[in-house]
Amino acid sequence: MLLLTPILFAPLLAGLLCLLVPSRRAMSALGVLAFATTLGLGIALLYQVLARGVVTEWSEFLSADALSAWMVLLISVVSLATSLYAGRYFRRDEAAGAVTPGRVREFFVLTPLFGAGMFLVVLANNLGVMWAAVEATALSSVLLVALYNRRNSLEAAWKYVILGSLGLALALMGTVFVYAAASKNNPQSLPSFNWSYLMSVAGRLDPHLLKLAFVFAFIGYGTKAGLAPMHTWLPDAHSEAPSPTSAMLSGVSLKIALYALLRFHILTTACLDSGFSRYFLLGFGLFSMFLAAPFILVQRNLKRMLAYSSLEHVGLICTGIALNTPVTIFGALLHMGYHALAKPVLFFAAGNIHQTCHSLEFRVIGPGVGKVLPVTVLLMGLAAIAAIGLPPFGLFLSEMTILSGGLAAHQTTVSVLILVALLASFCGILQQLARILLGARKPGDHANDARRLDGVPAMAMLLGGLLLFSVWLPAPLLELLHQAAGIIGSQP
Amino acid sequence: MNPSAATEISSQAITLMATLMLLVQLLMTAQRMLLTSIRLFAIQSLLLAGIAALVAYHHNASHVYVVAGLTLIGKVIFLPWLLNRLVHRIQIHQEIEPLLNAPTSMLICGGLTLLGYVLARPFTSMERLGNNTLGIALTLLLTGFFLMINRRKALTQVLALLTVENGVMLAAVALTSYGMPLVVELGIFFDVLVAVMVLGILVYRIRESFASMDTSKLNQLKG
Repeated sequence: MLLLTPILFAPLLAGLLCLLVPSRRAMSALGVLAFATTLGLGIALLYQVLARGVVTEWSEFLSADALSAWMVLLISVVSLATSLYAGRYFRRDEAAGAVTPGRVREFFVLTPLFGAGMFLVVLANNLGVMWAAVEATALSSVLLVALYNRRNSLEAAWKYVILGSLGLALALMGTVFVYAAASKNNPQSLPSFNWSYLMSVAGRLDPHLLKLAFVFAFIGYGTKAGLAPMHTWLPDAHSEAPSPTSAMLSGVSLKIALYALLRFHILTTACLDSGFSRYFLLGFGLFSMFLAAPFILVQRNLKRMLAYSSLEHVGLICTGIALNTPVTIFGALLHMGYHALAKPVLFFAAGNIHQTCHSLEFRVIGPGVGKVLPVTVLLMGLAAIAAIGLPPFGLFLSEMTILSGGLAAHQTTVSVLILVALLASFCGILQQLARILLGARKPGDHANDARRLDGVPAMAMLLGGLLLFSVWLPAPLLELLHQAAGIIGSQP
Repeated sequence: MNPSAATEISSQAITLMATLMLLVQLLMTAQRMLLTSIRLFAIQSLLLAGIAALVAYHHNASHVYVVAGLTLIGKVIFLPWLLNRLVHRIQIHQEIEPLLNAPTSMLICGGLTLLGYVLARPFTSMERLGNNTLGIALTLLLTGFFLMINRRKALTQVLALLTVENGVMLAAVALTSYGMPLVVELGIFFDVLVAVMVLGILVYRIRESFASMDTSKLNQLKG
């Protein structure tokens, strides 16, 4: 049975159908349907991958190993929650006159295309096609960031597209260098550009060329993944985009760029047989974590603060992978998953708050927004507890896994640095959110008429999933993660 | 004519065209009329298409002809036409004073050219046809970045991005014997087309909201 093809085409089809259907309700239902389908297919893919190792289709044009299957699950879950949330969100926006129906249609057409692009990134076997797919995700999300057409959102979109395109031009250069290394070995014919082929000849590729390729690809995809100091577009885009888009950008899009980066990391490590690429991941990862903490503390805008928190989490994932022990890589992959479940909830809640308070500035929102939006704030509080890494939520578990793995491998300095950075952003987020979520409402502010249950299904789904998988990781999922960790860390 | 002489001639022709691409790039950094810049970009793309066609002819590789054809249709005809239309629609024809004046820009570009050649030095032995085309490709990349920083008009930044892309494609032709697989080339081609359309939409919206396309006015978001 074909699995990869429908995963790719279900969202694509849904996006195109959204051009035709008449109502917003139908468009949002199409989105939900498409991503529910891909989630089901993703679970089927999980079992296929466990059974066969690598699943290929279209004569190896599409291929999925454990790492791809894990990413497919993440994309599906976050996109599904986003589609669930977006219907009501835009109904309120349209009622308030913040967007025109045309723009809403733009959202429902582009979001599944954005998802399809991400699926292609993780399923493409060909590194060049992977690049083209990353660029496609960037282009589809740019118009989403600019959806409100306000001055600030245009500015954010412009910075995003210019920095993103420049970064991706560098990544393309890196991709070209990899191909040049492959074609140097057999000058007479057109060599395959497939990941599986490149890995099989990795030991014979020109190491100098591959080093240069990795540096280009690192800066390129690193820009898209929001690693500091190439992250400057990230807080702007995350804060100015509509909240459903912010959730997708932060929940999966960053990790998709990271995935592309990891493919180069694996290839370079296999070729050079040394830690050359690991040191890049380690340095930039730690730098991102340390840069995020002070910026979280000084933010005055809710979604900007959340964006910097994403920066910190991406940094942690990179650092975990760079520590390069089976335990830390496993922890980093697990962290990707838990973060993808927790962070969208925060952005959805921020969306509700934005629509009620008409601002994202802490000064305007709080204190005591909990009296106005009790359900939203309760869920946001829980997600925030998860995001800063407190038990019983899984992020505590994955952070502990990375730390203990690092300490067990005698990487004491790095582990201590991780702990310090984690603590700093822990305090930052706690202090900022406690200021607005808790406390008494100012007199004169009456309870809002907001429909209290809007967006709750999506948030409850993600938080419920987070809680469930925090206490219980099903055996097949665990096995998948171990295999994925093996793919990343199979070399010294 | 014997094969080695034919190789020599194609090789020299490619070197010549690559050098002309660099020359066009330098001209672009020095002048300020938007329409002229678009025309220069079209010429540069035409040279790229010529190089691809020569490579295709020399290696008898049919799919590289496709690449040359796509470059001709997309970057020499369609994109310049699209950008021209945009310029007429938003009624801005001239770049304001760049951050650095023309002589300084030229000096910096000279330095960047030197850097590009130094970076490409270890890899020149890999080039199949032409001499130092990789150096020129890297120089196009670097000067493209510089052009982007030095100019403030949104449209010039789009053009700078396109020249960067030309540089990458030149590297692809220079370093690999037959270019990249067709599916990759097609992917890149459509991405570039869509990118320019998206950028065009944004430029238009920015012009409407800010009554200008001066990107130095995009300065509200900080920290």
